[in-house]
Amino acid sequence: MSETSFSVLGIFDTPNSLMAAIPKLRATKLGTVEAYTPYPIHGIDEALGLRKSPLGGMVLVMGILGALTAFGFEYWISAVDYPIITGGKAAGSWEAFIPIMFEVTVLFATFTAGLGMLLLLNKLPFFGHPVLSAKAITSITRDRYVLALEAESEAFDSQAAVAALQAAGATDIEVLPAPDRSPFLTSDYILRTLGGIFVACLVAGLGIFTLTKWFPLLRPMVNMQDQPRLNSQKPSSFFKDGHGMQRPVAGTVARGHLPTATGKQEEAASLVNPLPRTKEVFEVGRKAYHNRCEVCHGALGNGVGSLTAAYGGKPANLQAQQFRDYPDGKIYWVIVNGKSAMPSHAADLTDAQRWSVVHYVRALQRAQNAKDEDLKVVAP
Amino acid sequence: MRPEIAIPEGLLEPALTVGTVTPGSLDDQVLAFPETLPPRQWYIGIAITLSALFIGLGFIGYTFYKGIGAWGNSSPVFWAFDIINFVFWVGIGHAGTLISAILFLFRKRWRNAIARFAEAMTIFAVICAVIFPLIHVGRPWVAFWLFPYPNQRALWTNFRSPLLWDVFAVNTYFSVSLMFWYLGLIPDIASMRDRTTSKLRKTIYTVLAVGWRGAATHWQHYEKAYLLLAGLATGLVLSVHSVVSFDFATSVVPGWHMTIFPPYFVAGAIFAGFSMVVMVLVVVRETMQLKNLITMRHLDVMNKVILAMSCIMGYSYMMEGFTAWYSMNEYLHHGFMNIISGTYGWAGWLTISCNIFIPQILWFKKARSSYFWMIFVAIAVTIGMWFERFVIIVISLHQDYLPSAWRVYVPTMTDFGILLGTFGIFFTLVLLFARVLPVIATTEVKAILPGAQPSHHGDDHHV
Repeated sequence: MSETSFSVLGIFDTPNSLMAAIPKLRATKLGTVEAYTPYPIHGIDEALGLRKSPLGGMVLVMGILGALTAFGFEYWISAVDYPIITGGKAAGSWEAFIPIMFEVTVLFATFTAGLGMLLLLNKLPFFGHPVLSAKAITSITRDRYVLALEAESEAFDSQAAVAALQAAGATDIEVLPAPDRSPFLTSDYILRTLGGIFVACLVAGLGIFTLTKWFPLLRPMVNMQDQPRLNSQKPSSFFKDGHGMQRPVAGTVARGHLPTATGKQEEAASLVNPLPRTKEVFEVGRKAYHNRCEVCHGALGNGVGSLTAAYGGKPANLQAQQFRDYPDGKIYWVIVNGKSAMPSHAADLTDAQRWSVVHYVRALQRAQNAKDEDLKVVAP
Repeated sequence: MRPEIAIPEGLLEPALTVGTVTPGSLDDQVLAFPETLPPRQWYIGIAITLSALFIGLGFIGYTFYKGIGAWGNSSPVFWAFDIINFVFWVGIGHAGTLISAILFLFRKRWRNAIARFAEAMTIFAVICAVIFPLIHVGRPWVAFWLFPYPNQRALWTNFRSPLLWDVFAVNTYFSVSLMFWYLGLIPDIASMRDRTTSKLRKTIYTVLAVGWRGAATHWQHYEKAYLLLAGLATGLVLSVHSVVSFDFATSVVPGWHMTIFPPYFVAGAIFAGFSMVVMVLVVVRETMQLKNLITMRHLDVMNKVILAMSCIMGYSYMMEGFTAWYSMNEYLHHGFMNIISGTYGWAGWLTISCNIFIPQILWFKKARSSYFWMIFVAIAVTIGMWFERFVIIVISLHQDYLPSAWRVYVPTMTDFGILLGTFGIFFTLVLLFARVLPVIATTEVKAILPGAQPSHHGDDHHV
């Protein structure tokens, strides 16, 4: 054994003999005592004098950090950078952030526990450890228990270590040669494999790139991209008349509008004035009547307007009993469609203005045919 | 010394394994599978599952070509097979995490023998599940828009949407399950690395085992990490299906808007998951000659869990009826009547029979120890739990507040094809896993074999 060695392994057959040997070996002070076992042995941490694993604290800190990260991210996005009110909740209402905070906490904590254990505390992956190339490794990961005396210095006395392990009851001894301080992956074969994988990825990537470049791909989800539809003003064989655009069905009421008076005047009789009789409505009606109706029907609605003489027309006397008995809808129909010499005023007056005019005409009729009780002063 | 207490025979924990099992014999039994060629049944099995897989891929391809219109989904049933299958598969996964994490915290030592397989099934089930949200978004090539990432459109995701919570929950669940599974595998892969003679296998295992050498200093951190992961996964397994249930419970659809949903979903998930585990383990136990490690006691205990979950499901169903009645809400009344007597009344009764009535035969010890009955129950529960999601999703949607929009939903061939495909994916992965990785966590089982722990350090009451 002229070679320098930093590690001597002693194989034990049972966990009991392993545990019994640990204090003896530690007492020799020849080097660090390390155990290699196929599964965790209980009480071995205390026997080897290992410090408590700091993993719990690391996980706690990272878990809290995860919660804070998630909260900060969610709050900044939802309340600061992109405040969109959903469900009537305030932009910064934090209650909805809890599920994701929980998930991110678990995510941070898990990766700390798993990768922190492997990478930070156990310093894995590491393929160059001498034990991995020892003969004993096949027993270690199977059913034997190994104690090792290890040292980092040249002064390590491997002969004494062998003797100590024998004295402690090891059934077999293996002196490990000094590790060659080769880099991370000791095996060329592994390096070659990784290189092979890299080349394979490169070739596959380039292959796919060229293929997609030269050959057109099928377009995915065709019926979501090419949706059959009719453009306005275009013909269509779907309808009998060959037009893509069709007239709305009779009686259609445009959104945001009131039913309008189409058809015959008698049919319009059932339309009800939708506007309330308020001061504002009468004011709208008065203005519209003044602008559009007064020239013919007169300021009092009696058919004596300023244009009557000039044209020789005979506008309706709205004060006549016939028109006082008209339902609102019939007056409205005339405003929309016109009658006799009167043209349609649909283009000049909006829905609301027309119905306001109807109200105003009613007011004129009542004013000209007032009864005694109408004179009672109504308290303002 | 603690005073010795005489424990009556009936209270002693039964043996965890049958016959003599030593660490060495365990390795020779379990780790030998990847080193030998599989038997003929395996090839037949994988031929069947691969056919199912390719049929499913074909239909997914057809969906990509054609669009979502290839499915039966139509107004007002916008969620149908896609979300049913998603919830179904996520649920299947829950048994694995429950066995590996919650039973670990409860120090149930019998879980060591079945934890590995159950965890693997979790991962495969979640893989099947995530397919559905990805393909049902309509434009799967921009599915990454689900994640909040800085983009040139200056848009962010809506953190008040339970659908986004779901994205986080399922992704976290998958990452954590994978981490848990892989960490558990490392020492076993190290065992395989050191016993294999094939150079290719040795390389693969060497890389996968990250140089694990079983040092006591490593085991110390490893055990701590495993314990922490178990604790974290426990919280997670309860949260994931709760978050999935929020997708429904936070909406206002009658039949969805219920506070009982989170616990009800979690129980249902464990229920379905355990049935799947029982089904697969019976096959594994018989075909891989693992009767000495996966004992009848394992199956018995799992059947008891199924029975308990079945009772919780029965309670939940009754509560659904009670809520509908007690709410005095005509929409809820209508929704509940639809479950028991509507167009899909048959699905409602199928769910109730398969999930509540049939599992009751597990009260009998005879049924719990008979392959026929336990597989019968497991298949019934799998069917029942799939239809439970059908009942929740389709029945609630097809008739909600607007009678003019009501419509009877009819799935298409594509819907069934993709469902079949996910079963193909799942069982193909299970079969591959059974041949290339240790199906039993040998390291964990070694630690609970008789004489595995030093005798002067108390007895084996802590594992």
